[in-house]
Amino acid sequence: MIRYIIKRLLLMIPAILATSLIIFVAMNMTGGDPVDSLAPENATEEQIEEIREELGLNDPLLVRYIKYMGGMLHGDLGVSYVTKKDVFATFAERLPATLKLACSSVFVATLVALPLGIYTAIHQNTWKDTGGMIFALFGVSMPNFWLGLMLILFFSLGLGWFPSGGYGGLRNLILPAVTVGLGFAALITRTTRSAMLDVVRQDYMTTARAKGVPEKKVIFGHGLKNALIPIITVIGMQLSNALTGSVLAETVFSWPGVGRLIVDSISKRDTPMVTGSIIMCCILVCIVNVAVDLIYAFFDPRIKAQYAKKG
Amino acid sequence: MKRFFSAMLSAALLLSLLAGCGGGKDNASSGGSTDGGSSADGGSGGYKSDLIIGTAADINNLNLQEQQDAVNNIILKTTHENLVRFTNEGTCVPCLATEWEYLDDTHIQFKLVENAHFSTGEPLTAEDIKFTYDMAKDSYVSSVLSNVLSTEVVDDYTVVLELEKYDNELLPSLASVPVAIQSKAAYESGMEEPWHVGSGRYKFDDWVEGQFCRVVKVDDYWGEDPGVADSIEFRPYLEASSRVIALQNGEIDVCIDPPINELQYLEEDENITVEEKTGSRLFYFAFNVEKAPWDNQTLRQAVACAIDRDAVLQAAVYGKGTPQTTILNRGLWGFYDDMEGFDYDVERAKKLLADAGYANGLSTTLLIANSAPYTNIAQVVQANLKEIGIDVEIQTVEDATLKTMCKNGEQELYLWRWNEDSKVDFVYRDLYYTGSGSNYHHYSDPHVDELVDIVNTEKDEEKRMQAGVELQEYLVDACPQVPLYIANLVIAYNKNLTGTMLFPGGNHDWSHAYIAQ
Amino acid sequence: MAVKNKSEETIQSRSLAQETWRRLLKNKGAVFGMCFLVLLVIVALLSGFLYDYDTQIIQMNMSEALQPPSAAHWFGTDSLGRDIFARVLYGARYSLLIGVGSVTIGLIVGVTLGAIAGFYGGVVDQVIMRCVDVFYSIPNIMIAVVVVSLLGTSTINLLIALCFTCATSFCRIARAAVMTIRDQEYVESAYAMGLPTWKIILKHIIPNCLSPIIVQVTLLIGTTIIAASSLSFLGIGVPSPAPEWGAMLSDGRQHMRDAAYLCVIPGLAIMMTVLALNLLGDGLRDALDPKMKK
Repeated sequence: MIRYIIKRLLLMIPAILATSLIIFVAMNMTGGDPVDSLAPENATEEQIEEIREELGLNDPLLVRYIKYMGGMLHGDLGVSYVTKKDVFATFAERLPATLKLACSSVFVATLVALPLGIYTAIHQNTWKDTGGMIFALFGVSMPNFWLGLMLILFFSLGLGWFPSGGYGGLRNLILPAVTVGLGFAALITRTTRSAMLDVVRQDYMTTARAKGVPEKKVIFGHGLKNALIPIITVIGMQLSNALTGSVLAETVFSWPGVGRLIVDSISKRDTPMVTGSIIMCCILVCIVNVAVDLIYAFFDPRIKAQYAKKG
Repeated sequence: MKRFFSAMLSAALLLSLLAGCGGGKDNASSGGSTDGGSSADGGSGGYKSDLIIGTAADINNLNLQEQQDAVNNIILKTTHENLVRFTNEGTCVPCLATEWEYLDDTHIQFKLVENAHFSTGEPLTAEDIKFTYDMAKDSYVSSVLSNVLSTEVVDDYTVVLELEKYDNELLPSLASVPVAIQSKAAYESGMEEPWHVGSGRYKFDDWVEGQFCRVVKVDDYWGEDPGVADSIEFRPYLEASSRVIALQNGEIDVCIDPPINELQYLEEDENITVEEKTGSRLFYFAFNVEKAPWDNQTLRQAVACAIDRDAVLQAAVYGKGTPQTTILNRGLWGFYDDMEGFDYDVERAKKLLADAGYANGLSTTLLIANSAPYTNIAQVVQANLKEIGIDVEIQTVEDATLKTMCKNGEQELYLWRWNEDSKVDFVYRDLYYTGSGSNYHHYSDPHVDELVDIVNTEKDEEKRMQAGVELQEYLVDACPQVPLYIANLVIAYNKNLTGTMLFPGGNHDWSHAYIAQ
Repeated sequence: MAVKNKSEETIQSRSLAQETWRRLLKNKGAVFGMCFLVLLVIVALLSGFLYDYDTQIIQMNMSEALQPPSAAHWFGTDSLGRDIFARVLYGARYSLLIGVGSVTIGLIVGVTLGAIAGFYGGVVDQVIMRCVDVFYSIPNIMIAVVVVSLLGTSTINLLIALCFTCATSFCRIARAAVMTIRDQEYVESAYAMGLPTWKIILKHIIPNCLSPIIVQVTLLIGTTIIAASSLSFLGIGVPSPAPEWGAMLSDGRQHMRDAAYLCVIPGLAIMMTVLALNLLGDGLRDALDPKMKK
C-alpha cells in the first residue's frame, strides 16, 4: 500500500519536469516582455537593461530553466517579478481560500447531485427523469461568471442575504460555492444516474426485491452502496478541477484563490509565479488523485486486496 | 450506507468548522467593520472606526521604488510623506520641507521640519532624504530623479540637491509617491520589508495578497491634523458590478471607478454620493510614424478628420468626459486646446486622403489592448475609417504584449492612454522626444525636441508659455496621434465620508478621510 | 466470401443503428435536444443569407443605443446600437463553429494518439500517456490563456486554444477502448490475414470504440462553447465586433442592471444550446449502452 503511494508520488517528478518546461517555454514565447510591464513606461534603455540583468532575463532560456529547477530542488520556487514576494509564500497564502472554495463547492455539488442522480435513475425515461436531468444540467449549461453575477444581483443586492464578494466566513463562502458547485453537479448527477442504472439491473437487486426487502432499502442499501465507486471517482475528479478551475467565480466574487493568481500572473508575464503556482497545483491534483484511489480501497475490499498484493 | 452518510456528515461538519474559523478570524481582525460600524469610543465626535476602500485592481507591490500603480500609490500616500506635497489645485506646498530656495541654477536647498519622525519613533533627518534619493537613483523609478545628480547633507535638517540642469518641474517630481521619504534606520536595523516604515498619518499593518491591505492610525503623528479613522482598509473588488453592489450593501465605504452605466443606481441611493470631476486621463489613437504609409503626414491628418470624437466618447464612457484636440492632458500647466485641429469632417478627410495619394483607400491594422474602453473605441474608429475607404482590422492583445509590440515598433495604428496630472514634461518628453522609451509613435523631430527642452528649463514664464503653445500646435498639426477624449474622474462613496482629497489622475489621498456618524 | 461478409456486416450495423435510434427517441430530453440543435444549425446557415455582416451585424448606430426590446428590435439594441436579435442569430455561427471546430481538431489528434498508444502499448504508450497527463494536470483555462497570448486573439486561435482539453479526453477514451478491443479474436484474425496495422486500426478498431466517442463529442461541444465564453470574460475571447455569444454576454454584463436583456439573451442562447447538447449526449449514452439491451 505504502509502496504504491510512493510509486505514484515518484511518477509525479517527470510530469512536473515536463509541465514546468512547457510553461517556461510558453511564457517565454508569449508576446510581451515582463520588463515592459514592470518598468515605468518612460524607463530608459539602461534601466531596462538593469532590470533585465537583475531578474536574470539575459540568460538563455534553457539556463534560466535549469537554474529554476535547481532552486526547486531546494524547495525554492523563485521570487515573483512583480511583487518580489516568495512564490511559495504567496501560493501558500492563497491556498486556504482555494481549498475552502473547492471543498465547499464539491460539497454543494454532491448535495444536489446524489439525490437527483438516484431520483432520475429510479424514474428512467419518464418526465421526472428528463426534468431532473435538465435541473442538474442547469449549472453546467451556464457560463460560470454569468451565474455568479445573477446570484449576486438576486441574493446580495435584491435580498441582502449575502455579501457581494470578498473573503471571509460562511456568509462570504455560500454564493461562490453554489456558483462553482452547480457547475460540477451535472457530471456527478450523470455518473450517479448511470451507476445506479447499472446496479438496478443486477441480479442481486431483483433477488433482494424478491426476498421482500423494502424498495427504499433495496435502492439505498444495496444499490447506492455498490454504485459508489464511480461516484467517488467523479467527485474526486471534480475536486481536482475545483482546485484550479474556479478562476471565474474567484474574479466575480473577489475570492483570493489560486486560479485568479495564475491568470493575473500570466497577464503580467510573471514567469516564476506562473510556473511555481502551476507546479504546486499539479502536485495538489496528484495528491487528490492518490487520495481518491485510497478511498476506493476503503469502499471496495477487492481493490484493497489488490493494493495489498502489490505492496 | 451508514458509513457513507457519516462520511458526508463529517465532511459537512469539517467544512462549517473551517468556514467558521475563517469567519471568526476575519471578524476579529477587521474590528467593528462587520457590525455596521460602531463608533469608536473616546474619539472626538462620532466616526466609524475603520474606513474601507474598494479598489478596482489588485494591490501588487508596496515597495515604493518598485511600483508605479495608482492602487499601490493610494495606500503609500497614507503611510509615507514627501519633501513637498502636491495639492489638488496643482501647486506644491511644504510637507516634510518647510522652505526651499535655489542657491544657483543647479543647486536647490531644502530646510526640513525638525519634529518629524517615522512610525517607528526614529526622527526623520536629512540623512533619510539622502538615503531615499540615493536608493531611488538606483531603482526602477530612477527616471523620476533623472535630473538630480546628488544629494548633500548640510546639517541634520538641511539638504542640498545638485541638479544636472535647471528644471521647472523638480518639485512635482519630488512630490511623487516613489520618492517619498523612507527610514534609513529601518533599512539598517535589518528588519523585514523596511520600506513599510514612513512618516505618514498611518502606518502599515497587514497585507494579505489578493484580500486586503490595512493601515492603522499613528497615535503620535508628528504634524498637525492627524488621521481620524482608526484604520483604513483597501480591498480589491475586481468585478465592477460587484464593487458597486458592495458599496450599496455597505461592505465598503468607497467605490473606486464605478462603472458609468451603473451610476444611476448609485445616484438614486440616498446613502451614497457620486462625485464627478474633470479627469486627467487622456485616451488617444495613434500612428507608428516610422512605418509606411503612416509616415505620410497628410494621410495621418485625413484619418484624424475621419474620427468622430463625440461618438467615441459616447461609446467609451457614455459621454462622461471631454473631447480633446490637443495632445496635453487637461489640467496641466500650459494646457491649450484652441487650435483649429482636425474636427470630424468626412469631406475634408476624403480630400486629405486624396491629397495624400490614397484616394482609393487602403487597409491596415489597429492594435488594441483587450480591455474596456479600447474595444469600444476601436469599433467606432473602425466604422469611422470605413467611411473614407480605410479598412481596419482590429488586433486585440493583452496589455503586456501591446507595450512590447509598440516599443519595438511592430504596430501600425494603436490605441493607448496617458495619465499625468502634475508634470508637463512627463507628457512632452516621454511621448514625443526622440528615442524616449514610451514614444510609441516613434516620432522624432529636432524642432519638437528643442521646444520640449525649452518648456522644461526656461525660467521666463512668458517664453516658456509661448514654447508650450507652439509645441502643442505643432504636434497637433504633425499628427503623430489623434487625441480622443479625457475621461472624467468618477468615484462613489458613503454620503457621510468627509475629508476626501481627490486627484484627477487617481492618486487620491485618503489619510484625512473618515465616515462621520 | 469477402463480399458476403461485408454485406452481412452492413445489415448488422444498420440494425444496430436503428435500434439505437429507436431507443434514443424514447428519451424525451434527447429528442428535445436534437430538435433544438437542428433548428440552431438551420438558423446558423440561414443567418448568413438573412443579414449582411457589415451593415446589419457590426455596423454601429449610436442614436439607437441601448433600446429596450420593441417591435423594431425584438431583443433590443446594445450599447453601440446594434440589433441584438440579428446578432444572436448570427452568433450561432461563431459559437457552433468554435464548438464543433475545436472538438473536431481535438477528436482527430486525440483519437489518433490514443489509438496508437493503446495499440502499440509499451514505450509508445508510456510517452504519449505521460504527455497527456501533463496537459491534463495543467488547468485547461491556463492552456487556453497561454495559447491565446501566444498566437493573439482570433477565432481560429481560440479553436486551437480550446482543442487541447478535447484532445486529452479523446486520447484517454480511444486508448482505453483500443486496449480492450486489441486482443479480441477478430482483430487477431485480421492480423493473421496480413492486413497492415493502420488498416486494422482504421477498419476494425476505431469503429468499435465509436459509441463512447460520439457521446463525448456532443458533451465536449457544449463544454467548449462555455469555455469560449469564459475566455471572453477574461478578455481573450473572440475579438469584437464579432457577435460571438460569449463576447456579447461578457460585454453585456456591464449592463446587468440597466439593460438586463443584453446579457440575458446571449446567456439564454448559450444555456439552451449547451443544455440541448448535454441532453442529447446523455440520451446517446443511454441509447448506445449495450447493457441497456433488454
